[in-house]
Amino acid sequence: MTSEYRICTRCIMDTTDPDIVFDENGVCNHCHDHDRLMKQKVVTGKAGEEYLQKLVEQMKRDGRGKPYDCLIGVSGGVDSTYVAFLVKKMGLRPLAVHMDNGWDSELAVKNIEETLKRLGIDLHTEVLDWEEFKSLQVAFLKSSTPDSEIPSDHAIWAVLGDLADKLKVKYIVSGFNVRTETHLPRAWSQGHFDWKYIRSVNQLFGRGKLKTFPHIGFFTYYRRLLTHRRVDILNYIDFNKAEAMKILEQELGWRYYGGKHYESIYTRFYQGYILPVKFGYDKRRSHLSSLICSGETTRPAALSELDKPTYQPSMQEEDREYVVKKLGLTDDEFESILNASKKTFWDYPSYGRIIEGPALKFLYNIGRNWYRARQKRAHQAEA
Amino acid sequence: MIRPRVIPCMLLKGEGLVKTVKFKDPKYLGDPINIVRIFNDKEVDELIFLDILATTENRRPNFELLKKITSECFMPLGYGGGIRDMDDVRQLLSIGVEKFVLNASAVENPALVRLAADHAGSQAVVISIDVKKTLFGKYEVFTRAGKKGTGLDPVKFAVDMEKQGAGEIFVNSIDRDGTMQGYDLDLIKRVAEAVTVPVVACGGAGNVQHLAEAVKAGASAAAAGSMFVFQGPLRGVLISYPAQDELKRVMP
Repeated sequence: MTSEYRICTRCIMDTTDPDIVFDENGVCNHCHDHDRLMKQKVVTGKAGEEYLQKLVEQMKRDGRGKPYDCLIGVSGGVDSTYVAFLVKKMGLRPLAVHMDNGWDSELAVKNIEETLKRLGIDLHTEVLDWEEFKSLQVAFLKSSTPDSEIPSDHAIWAVLGDLADKLKVKYIVSGFNVRTETHLPRAWSQGHFDWKYIRSVNQLFGRGKLKTFPHIGFFTYYRRLLTHRRVDILNYIDFNKAEAMKILEQELGWRYYGGKHYESIYTRFYQGYILPVKFGYDKRRSHLSSLICSGETTRPAALSELDKPTYQPSMQEEDREYVVKKLGLTDDEFESILNASKKTFWDYPSYGRIIEGPALKFLYNIGRNWYRARQKRAHQAEA
Repeated sequence: MIRPRVIPCMLLKGEGLVKTVKFKDPKYLGDPINIVRIFNDKEVDELIFLDILATTENRRPNFELLKKITSECFMPLGYGGGIRDMDDVRQLLSIGVEKFVLNASAVENPALVRLAADHAGSQAVVISIDVKKTLFGKYEVFTRAGKKGTGLDPVKFAVDMEKQGAGEIFVNSIDRDGTMQGYDLDLIKRVAEAVTVPVVACGGAGNVQHLAEAVKAGASAAAAGSMFVFQGPLRGVLISYPAQDELKRVMP
């Protein structure tokens, strides 16, 4: 980590990402990742259309005799709503899955309601047990890592996976896309699929065991990589966020909520207040950087966007009061959470720490040394 | 407001909200606080919360939780469940509950109805009548989450309660609860014809047409649970409320 401030010459990522690296032209690693992933994963124009057509036919074949061809997660946000619109347009029979973690805004539920009614899509909702989830959210705040959104991210994939298993549906169509979501530094949030991480934070700071929380075990995660197939459908079309929003507003009566992931009150507050105030970074920076690289915005426009407050300060105050109350904290407790010294993923037990930790590295080194020694012996014997 | 009121009726079980079918099989809906907030933004006419376990567990209302709910709730709020005496009534008033919904205690202790009406005014006293059809097709009043038959006739009981000072009669059909097949219009009609105070219909609403039917049958307001919390054939949990212009168009 460098102590000197630096910002990428192409996008607006900077040294608020502790792991950022710049090349000789001052371009950051995230931009390189973006270019690489665009080549590897994004197919546009005619080729994308053809690829998607084939894939959709396959999905319809695999869906025969089953109640649905695919699952889609819905949050009321742009990406997931646009996915619902697309899969329906392609003649697939999707089941919409919503995970209600207790922080839905009115706008979010209204968007889901209108969209699904107009498109004629069935809805399954998984409501997290609020008392349990509240304790888990507080535990993550107290753990002082920037990963407080991990439990929600983990749970939605767990719910989708469980339901896919139950209904024997193979495809999960997601709204993730390379164009707008590549510039996320690992240090800003990690451990999405690390059940051990979630469990250990809960054990250290929560109240009681997690009994009903939807989760993905270590082996389940890998099994599902083989049996389910995730389709990032937005990578196969010429996706443009601004245009997508226009279509949704016109055709589905969808309404914008003013910021990426701001359809959830907690996410809005977490990204717009806690992350910048406590951890000193602004997730808009990474989102805007992706948009610069995909040509949807320019660097000067992004920089001036970043000068604006994350969202209305009066609303931040209102949200702060509500969040503190809903989590059952006092103002003092919340203040001390904000002031507690920062920790990271690596400070807590996790699968990640085992896999990337010293023990496995030690074993890996032994293996490598043994292999090298054998090669050497073989070489000497030959000679 | 000129059009008849449309009231989401929410059931509390422990700290969470649930929705039942025929007073059974409670399905978890989530945290009441966030749901109140969503209803705020939807500009709902009025809200009713019923604690379905308070009386059967023989305990008082959960004042702590209700305090959190009222501090978040911008619309008139009614509460029922476990209200036993004037202490409860006073405490509920002090935390901002506008209407008290009495059910078992109205049957078991009718004097409380009079006391509460004298203290807070008739408009604040709502009698909730849970009605089930008996084997012989007669209507009977039930209490204690629909478990205990009282042998009372709902129409006669409603008239008695009006005399005691009740300002509103909330008629809830146990047989229709959670079915979304429409209200028991016959029952609503009979009660509404017998009393002069407003009657709120509950139990069975599945769409806005049903709400209008209840009003045509004589109800002054229509209450519902399922239709405001479920969507689609799988009954996915999603809070909703009809748009104002839709209500204006449909309601008589």
